[in-house]
Amino acid sequence: MSFNWTSFLIQIVAFGILYLLLSKFAFKPLFGIMEKRRQLVKEQIDGAEKSRADAERFLEEQKQALQQARKEAYDIIETAKTTGAKQADEIVQAARNEANRLKEEALRDIESEKNKAIASLRAQVSGLSVLIASKIIEKQIDEQTQAELVDQYLQEVGTKS
Amino acid sequence: MEHLSPIVIIGGVKFDLAAIFMIVLTSILAFVLARLSVRNLSVENPGKLQNFMEWVVEFVSNIIGMATDFKRGRVYLTLGLTLIVYIFIGNMLGLPFNIITEAHHGHATFLGMELFMDGKEEAEFAWWKSPTADAAMTMALALTVIVLSHIQGLRHNRKHYLKHYFEPWPFFFPINLIETLAKPLTLGLRLYGNIYAGEVMISVIMGMGFIGIPALLVWQGFSIFVGAIQAFVFTMLTMVYIGQASIHEEDH
Repeated sequence: MSFNWTSFLIQIVAFGILYLLLSKFAFKPLFGIMEKRRQLVKEQIDGAEKSRADAERFLEEQKQALQQARKEAYDIIETAKTTGAKQADEIVQAARNEANRLKEEALRDIESEKNKAIASLRAQVSGLSVLIASKIIEKQIDEQTQAELVDQYLQEVGTKS
Repeated sequence: MEHLSPIVIIGGVKFDLAAIFMIVLTSILAFVLARLSVRNLSVENPGKLQNFMEWVVEFVSNIIGMATDFKRGRVYLTLGLTLIVYIFIGNMLGLPFNIITEAHHGHATFLGMELFMDGKEEAEFAWWKSPTADAAMTMALALTVIVLSHIQGLRHNRKHYLKHYFEPWPFFFPINLIETLAKPLTLGLRLYGNIYAGEVMISVIMGMGFIGIPALLVWQGFSIFVGAIQAFVFTMLTMVYIGQASIHEEDH
């Protein structure tokens, strides 16, 4: 075995040059590509994860919207029902009130008419009776009766005073 | 007969032409492979080579994750990748064939340069071998990463890095020092020994002639396995050493 120092030095220099050349022209672009691929894979995984989360979120939103719509529809129906019932009640009540009012009015009218009729009847009766009385008195009164009447009035005056 | 390395001497310095050639070839192959794999980069539809290279990246990331904390060890990913690709290609290159030239009459030339023949009259030169089957090259790699680990230890983790030489007690310092010195030696020589032994074994089996073909097939297959394992082990240990020196674990 012979140790050749020239070979030794040349090998060191050659290895250094090879290292620099490989590093510059071969491995640097290769590492770049590998890093890029790593990034790509990472991005795709992230993207997939994100779209999955989005899909889940959308599904949840849809469910909630559906729930909301269902609830609103139920509320609307309920409100309509109560409103309808209330309106019906109101209408019935109003009708009843109107009827009562008309009835009362009618009764009042009847009463007043009746009173009026009674009053006029009374006036006529008293006039007629005065008339009749005066005619009877004109025909039948005599001395005796007149005396009796005078006495009676006097007596009445005497008890009243 | 042992094969000689084709060595030329220029200005008193020995240049191992085969080693230089193989270093350059391995580096070019590693670079071309890496470039081809990033030629049509695509995020969604990676090509076959890109897939393969991404698998290698994941593999080295796992090594770093096993050895230290991946988040903080991430800056060494390129280092680990360069190491594993370079060493694996280097280990594989020496396996399939060899190129040998014969020289006679005491001299041989390459591109007009005189080859060093160690005073012998006849020689065979091996032009093709794994760059990792040479101790000089593996030690170069090992020292590079060990020195790097010490620098990073001093830069990012100075207190614990310096303290670990005196743990568990101060008189352990020599032992810790020996351990520190042994690290690059074991790291470099393990790789060298495995690959060199594999190539020696191949040349031995080649000497058996036609009878050796089944054995050669088996041994080549095993050498591919060893080459892959050694590339893995070297990268793993590099990350372990760097992690020990520069990344302080919070729990101790």
